[in-house]
Amino acid sequence: MAKITIDGIEHEFEEGKNLFEACAEANGEKLPHFCYHPGLSIAGVCRMCQVEIEGVPKLVIACNATVRDGMVVHTKNDRVKSTVKNILNFHLLHHPVDCPVCDQAGECSLQDFYMNHGLYDADIDIDDKLAKGKVKPIGELVMLDAERCVLCARCTRFTREVTKTDELGIFHRGNHSEIDVAPGKTLDNNYSLNTVDICPVGALTSRDFRFRKRVWWLETTDSVCPGCSTGCNMTIHHNEGTAYRFKPRENMDVNEYWMCDHGRLLYKDIMTDARQTAPTVGKGDARTDGSWERAYARVLEMAEGKTLAFVGSPHATLEELFALGRLCEVAGGKWIGARLASTEVGEADDLLFSADRTPNGEGLRRLKAGEFSLDELRSAATGDHVLVVLENDLVGLSDSGVLDGFAGVIAIAADANATTEAADVVLPTLKYAEKSGTWINKNGRAQALAPAFVGPAEARDALRIASELAETFGHTFTWTDAAAVLTEIAGTVDGFGALAAGIGPQGVSLDGTPDAPAPSGGEEAQA
Amino acid sequence: MADFPKILSENWDVENSHTLEVYESHGGYVALKKVLTGDKITPEALREEVKTSGLRGRGGAGFPTGVKWGFVPQNIDKPKYLLVNADESEPGTFKDRFIMDYDPHMMIEGSILSSYAINANDCFIYIRGEYGWLVDRLEEAIEEAYAKGYLGKNILGSGFDCEMIVHKGAGAYICGEETGLINSLEGLKGQPRIKPPFPAVVGFLDCPTIVNNVETVASVPWIVNNGANAYAAIGTEKSTGTKLFSVSGPVKRPGVYEIPLGLPMKELLMGNDYCQGMKDGVELKACIPGGSSVPILNAEETLACNVDYESFAEHGTMLGSGGCIVVGNDANMPELLKNLIQFYHHESCGQCTPCREGTGWLDMILERMLNGEGRPKDLELLDRIGNNMMGTTICVLADAAVMPCQSFIKKFRDEFEALLPDMEEPEDYIPTTSSAELPR
Repeated sequence: MAKITIDGIEHEFEEGKNLFEACAEANGEKLPHFCYHPGLSIAGVCRMCQVEIEGVPKLVIACNATVRDGMVVHTKNDRVKSTVKNILNFHLLHHPVDCPVCDQAGECSLQDFYMNHGLYDADIDIDDKLAKGKVKPIGELVMLDAERCVLCARCTRFTREVTKTDELGIFHRGNHSEIDVAPGKTLDNNYSLNTVDICPVGALTSRDFRFRKRVWWLETTDSVCPGCSTGCNMTIHHNEGTAYRFKPRENMDVNEYWMCDHGRLLYKDIMTDARQTAPTVGKGDARTDGSWERAYARVLEMAEGKTLAFVGSPHATLEELFALGRLCEVAGGKWIGARLASTEVGEADDLLFSADRTPNGEGLRRLKAGEFSLDELRSAATGDHVLVVLENDLVGLSDSGVLDGFAGVIAIAADANATTEAADVVLPTLKYAEKSGTWINKNGRAQALAPAFVGPAEARDALRIASELAETFGHTFTWTDAAAVLTEIAGTVDGFGALAAGIGPQGVSLDGTPDAPAPSGGEEAQA
Repeated sequence: MADFPKILSENWDVENSHTLEVYESHGGYVALKKVLTGDKITPEALREEVKTSGLRGRGGAGFPTGVKWGFVPQNIDKPKYLLVNADESEPGTFKDRFIMDYDPHMMIEGSILSSYAINANDCFIYIRGEYGWLVDRLEEAIEEAYAKGYLGKNILGSGFDCEMIVHKGAGAYICGEETGLINSLEGLKGQPRIKPPFPAVVGFLDCPTIVNNVETVASVPWIVNNGANAYAAIGTEKSTGTKLFSVSGPVKRPGVYEIPLGLPMKELLMGNDYCQGMKDGVELKACIPGGSSVPILNAEETLACNVDYESFAEHGTMLGSGGCIVVGNDANMPELLKNLIQFYHHESCGQCTPCREGTGWLDMILERMLNGEGRPKDLELLDRIGNNMMGTTICVLADAAVMPCQSFIKKFRDEFEALLPDMEEPEDYIPTTSSAELPR
């Protein structure tokens, strides 16, 4: 360990630690910066994070310095402040200051640093500002405004170092330098929107999010991406019950700082026209919206003299699968499984996108909720069985007649689909953005979901539905929420002991080992 | 004229001096034989010898060459590289081309010796694209050296291998900066690299790399042949040996001169052995002694200086690359400065914000001043911009633009003031982007 004094206060850090990070930890806030990003190589070009190190004649940029024992660092003295202010002035020199029409406003480093380190009048007449290209689509999802760019080279380093696709470059020299796509290329890799995240200014904006919501109206809720078994940590940005975008949330054991475009755009699937908003009873033309009481009464009727058969889902939470299993037990039912084998898989890439396109395939495997083949499903489809299916579009995943043999079908579903179409009773439920629960990613990391907003008024949490169905059959579950179910899972199911202490924002590894599908520097990247 | 041996320019006026035959007949490749086969001098001993000689980098920074060689870690299992910087692009500097044109084998022999000193087996000559004809000349000479066994595998049976490749740059000033050169050689955009790490440790292809100027390596054979002490005996205590000075401007005899360091500037500019004074009818007004990046001297300072690192430093300027630009009294200093700043604006690689924006800003202000649109506080603004550029960037291109800018204005302020409007700028003058002038 090295003792180092930062702004008069002594701290201890590991010798050789990045000085920018050390200052951020010591001061509780990051030094002003544009180009530094912990997930990218050091560029050292924005020159904003200059600090004074006693004994070194010139100011040095903290991002390219390391902690040495005995170092005395000043980050806030007059010399540093004046330098930062003047360098910020260079950054703003030709900036169009079009904040009122800029989507980045409100989450812009230039604005933030100007409030902290600037607040001066312009040194240059508006006519003398260099004009560069605006509103240039450089990919399906990304819009470039070269005038707003501070040339921090984060986006170019991202496409070089992380995706290794090199679509972006800085062209020309001096103050004619401009970010652009390389000739003949477009920025269309599956990680393109990360460039928007890391762009500290409004140069790269999301064509999907542009002009849809001012960022200061957005609330944020930590969540986990539902798009594949990697389980990238993310934040749901929402306002008045509507999600506007997903942004990756740092988790060095899972997704580092990144997230794929596929997952990121799934916010659009939360509130769709297909949303099941009320319980329905009956099929086809005879289907009517009904109350929950009527629906449960119909379930009871259907179950009369039959055996309930259960199918879970790799999209359901661990708690829901457990509760459904318990319902199966108390109802003396038949457990078919939770996943139709070989469905919902695609091609994996080298970074984050996994072949398993479901968020909780590992969870159902560890709960031993099981996969089943189409033949197993067909052989269960007899006149003796009434199927209860949770969040699983069995018909859509196989073929239209697959459920025909069952005496009846009860679908617990958030969206209408081919399976709800074939169901006698549909019970509307909540999606991941509307409920609490746990998913286990492919490396055995349990990660928590939290409700960002409420779902459709009539939709109910699948846990509650399971409890209510149990009541219908004369049994009472003791737990009332996901946390209680999780405690029970931790205490009673082998392999889940690690969850006894709860799940923090970064998740918990069920195996007690850090998993490492890290995009840069991880095993996959090195292989 | 002081009596001193011509180390670099001795054979320039010999017919066919660029050929191996002539070079050998004037003592060429004797040093290489001495090191590799005769005295069998170890690389370490050679490094020590050059350190003792006091030879300093002739590209501009003047860093002691032997010390720089010593930074190469010798105990790591990576190839080491010598890159010879022939990207001579500092305005006012045209000395290395004379070496390459008239005595290419001297540079080649020096490069082989320098490679040997740092245990490098690959040497690249990075030459500016504008020196196209010199590429042919160098390649012919290198071919001769290969044929004679001075290059290639097992040189002179010593077991030492050295391959030499000429690489042509595409004409960017910044590729003469050593890490910009390395990037360019690797096929990347010519932009300086952030330091640390230093190239001696992590350089070309992430391997230990030494970048030496043409004149620097060309001095090595003489040091080997005559000894470090003989070299150190020339010049002053801290500025040893000889230096090529390329003198341009309104002197009677501009050109490239080899001088012993410590020579009075007066002698260089006015002496009969050198420039022979100003052209008739022109008086000395100023001099940029070491390439366009160094602070300018007025006539009085110029004539008071000696040509060595210490004396120039005392007078607030630098010896630099030895690109001595003489300015006559007919010159318009603001126009001259505009010319220089335009160059730095054009050549700024653009990665560091203070340089990218600053060089363009300086240029813009000078442009408006020369167009009669100067503003009362423009000189203060130029000074302030310069202060904020100095020392805040990865490489010294920003400093190189600021040093002439600030020194020109300091020493010839009246000429700049004459371009500004008479009126006093109002105390509350605010440019038009300010919110104060926006409609409310």
